[in-house]
Amino acid sequence: MDAVAQWRNQWFDYTQYLRREGFLDDQFAQLKKLQDENSPDFVVEVVSLFFQDSEKLFNNMARALEQNVVNFKQVDAYVHQFKGSSAWIGAFRLKNVCINFRNFCEAQNLEGCLRCLQQLQQESTALKNKLENLFRLEQQIVAAGGSIPMME
Amino acid sequence: MAALQRVAQSSVSTTASSYGSCKGGGGVLSPSAAEMAVPDRFPAGLRVLVVDDDTTCLRILELMLLRCLYQVTICSEATVALNLLRERKDCFDVVLSDVHMPDMDGFKLLEHIGLEMDLPVIMMSADGRTSVVMRGIRHGACDFLIKPVREAELKNIWQHVVRKKWNGSKELEHSGSLEDNDPHKRGNNDIEYTSSVNEGTEVSLKGQKKRINAKEDDDGDTENDDMSTSKKPRVVWSVELHQQFVTAVNQLGLDKAVPKRILEMMNVPGLTRENVASHLQKFRLYLKRLNGVAQQQSGIANAFCGPADSNGKLGSLSRFDFPALAASGQIPPQTLAALQAELLGQPAGNLMPATDQPALLHASLQGAKRPPVEHGVPFVQPFIKSQSNVSKQFPQPVISAEDVSPGFGQWRSNNRSTVAPSNYHGGSSALNSNLLMGVVQQEQRQHDRTQQQSALIEPCRSFNVQPSCLVVPSQSSTGFQAGNSPASFNQSISFNKSTVIDYSLLSDQSNNSLNIGHIPTGNLKITGTLGGYSAPGSISPTSCIVNADNNSTSYQNSTATFSDSRELPGVLHNTSNSQGFYVDKSGEMLDQGPLRNLGFVGKETCIPSRFAVDDFESQMSNLNPGRIQVENSGALVKQEPIVDYVDNEKLGIPILQQYSSSDFMSPFTD
Repeated sequence: MDAVAQWRNQWFDYTQYLRREGFLDDQFAQLKKLQDENSPDFVVEVVSLFFQDSEKLFNNMARALEQNVVNFKQVDAYVHQFKGSSAWIGAFRLKNVCINFRNFCEAQNLEGCLRCLQQLQQESTALKNKLENLFRLEQQIVAAGGSIPMME
Repeated sequence: MAALQRVAQSSVSTTASSYGSCKGGGGVLSPSAAEMAVPDRFPAGLRVLVVDDDTTCLRILELMLLRCLYQVTICSEATVALNLLRERKDCFDVVLSDVHMPDMDGFKLLEHIGLEMDLPVIMMSADGRTSVVMRGIRHGACDFLIKPVREAELKNIWQHVVRKKWNGSKELEHSGSLEDNDPHKRGNNDIEYTSSVNEGTEVSLKGQKKRINAKEDDDGDTENDDMSTSKKPRVVWSVELHQQFVTAVNQLGLDKAVPKRILEMMNVPGLTRENVASHLQKFRLYLKRLNGVAQQQSGIANAFCGPADSNGKLGSLSRFDFPALAASGQIPPQTLAALQAELLGQPAGNLMPATDQPALLHASLQGAKRPPVEHGVPFVQPFIKSQSNVSKQFPQPVISAEDVSPGFGQWRSNNRSTVAPSNYHGGSSALNSNLLMGVVQQEQRQHDRTQQQSALIEPCRSFNVQPSCLVVPSQSSTGFQAGNSPASFNQSISFNKSTVIDYSLLSDQSNNSLNIGHIPTGNLKITGTLGGYSAPGSISPTSCIVNADNNSTSYQNSTATFSDSRELPGVLHNTSNSQGFYVDKSGEMLDQGPLRNLGFVGKETCIPSRFAVDDFESQMSNLNPGRIQVENSGALVKQEPIVDYVDNEKLGIPILQQYSSSDFMSPFTD
């Protein structure tokens, strides 16, 4: 089997795996649909923006949780924002952690919040790695003259 | 972080070319063309401002909107966005804003925009709780999208622009870009406000009967009945209340008059800041209007309206306002004099004429307007009365936003009627004149039935009809006027085509549910007007109104006809809910909910075989039946229509054949 075909198969398998494990959901496929010859790097661009923003948000959350008197409302606002962003790129697992996080905020449970923040950071890093793998694979396919399959 | 602000214009061109479609043959939109929002490419080129602190969201929305062939500006800070809007007021058609933003609450931004620029604002949030959405509506949002937003939802945001314009302006029959319509709309709004201010304050909208002379009594009764069914308490801007408001504004200074301070100064229990905000907006428009008197409109209005008593009513009010206005130093003395003269019944040929109409319509519209709006129950009466007014539309937005200030709603409707005359005059379409006659006749009949009113209303109505091409006595079934295909219904593609054909067909067809027929026509007309499409002059407004009457009984409510007509447009045209667009055309008096139902139903019955079968079918499929059905209280129609239409041979629509089903395929449905 030629390289391109092989990579395409890998791409299929990988995306299936990502979907199955909940790293990505339908929304990601929607994003990919938006990408076309006019905006060939759209998904990469958006994902990069997302991770940049998430860095800032994590810092904000950490700082807010470090305060003597924690402003849970503020933390909740940050989490809400992060949840929104995650939803936009289809980061399913991240979104779910956010839901838990918000519950802890509402309960004013500092422990829970800190745990969730940690979880967010871990999940975020994991997702970033996975997406990088995916993009690299896509670059290979394209560089070899192939086309990236449609994501279903 | 620095505000991210970008205008994506060039991409529009590339996007347009890449997508190629879009009715006009999808040529590339040059930056200037994009800005101009070339009519026949509508809604391509719609100028959207997106405000959200989330850059991921901004970027995604930007691309989605570009793919819809809109011209997009993104901004990550609300304050920056507001400044941008202030500087370039006429450079945007619609605003999309997030609810949760660090520098300014989204609802606050929404209010500012509503007050200062009167642009349609669509709110977005990941938080889809009913309470949040309700807040958005109360603050005046045209729509509320839940994130993540899908591209399909963005495709239809143009409806809000159209609806707003339509409500504000009657001069839609001529082709023109959206931009062109803006000044008209603004001007019209001002006029409307003027008349409504006079009228509304004078007439007690709710709960106050017999405040005025006997002329209003009938209206009052009707109104009260309707009002009793209304769900929300409305704020009646009585004379005293308005006086307090004006006093407060003057004390604060118009520039510094913010709703919160005004509310504090007025110290009226039960009055909310939103009520005041809405009223303030109208007041500001009113003042603007006074500063720039539109003589031609008033002249025309004069011709049509003129009962002295209405003037009398207005007179007291206007007098009331004038001192305040004069005090604010915003109104030139000569304008004031003219206003006063008008109010007192002297044909000043200026502002006053416009006010006359509203006054006349006011009474009749009062009762009708509100209830339908609130309940979403179709009204026959309102429809009849204010057909030309298309006033129903106004009450809706007003109410939805604040559910207050009924006066405003009325005013608006009044305004509409006022505007109509001018439109009428301005209208060049022969159809309009035909319509007018038909309408007048029709309306008279309706009037008799509905107990009131005055013939005064009729003329106004007819005016309204014009733009929406709705008013047309059913009797005259003018043959179809070929040339427009039902395709125009489809929001996306057929903008270019007017649905003249359908219109006439409808009238021919049946007495029932012709309303629906109206709608298509109405829609078409509007579209045409907006986008400069060929005005459906050929359309024979066969019986938009008439049928409505007939049909009313056949529908759930007597007002069904009304609602039918309203809904139809929406139903027909919208594949995904852009009902507002059409509804407006037909003088949407009812809010979309009921309209949808009716419209859909009507559709079934009304739409003659004129529509090319395939066209219709494609339309139907585009309509998103599921949606409609849900809203339709009794909509069985959905399923049958196609068959009906097909079977209907009478109307043999040659024109329809011209359009292939592909015509209906909107680029947005790809």
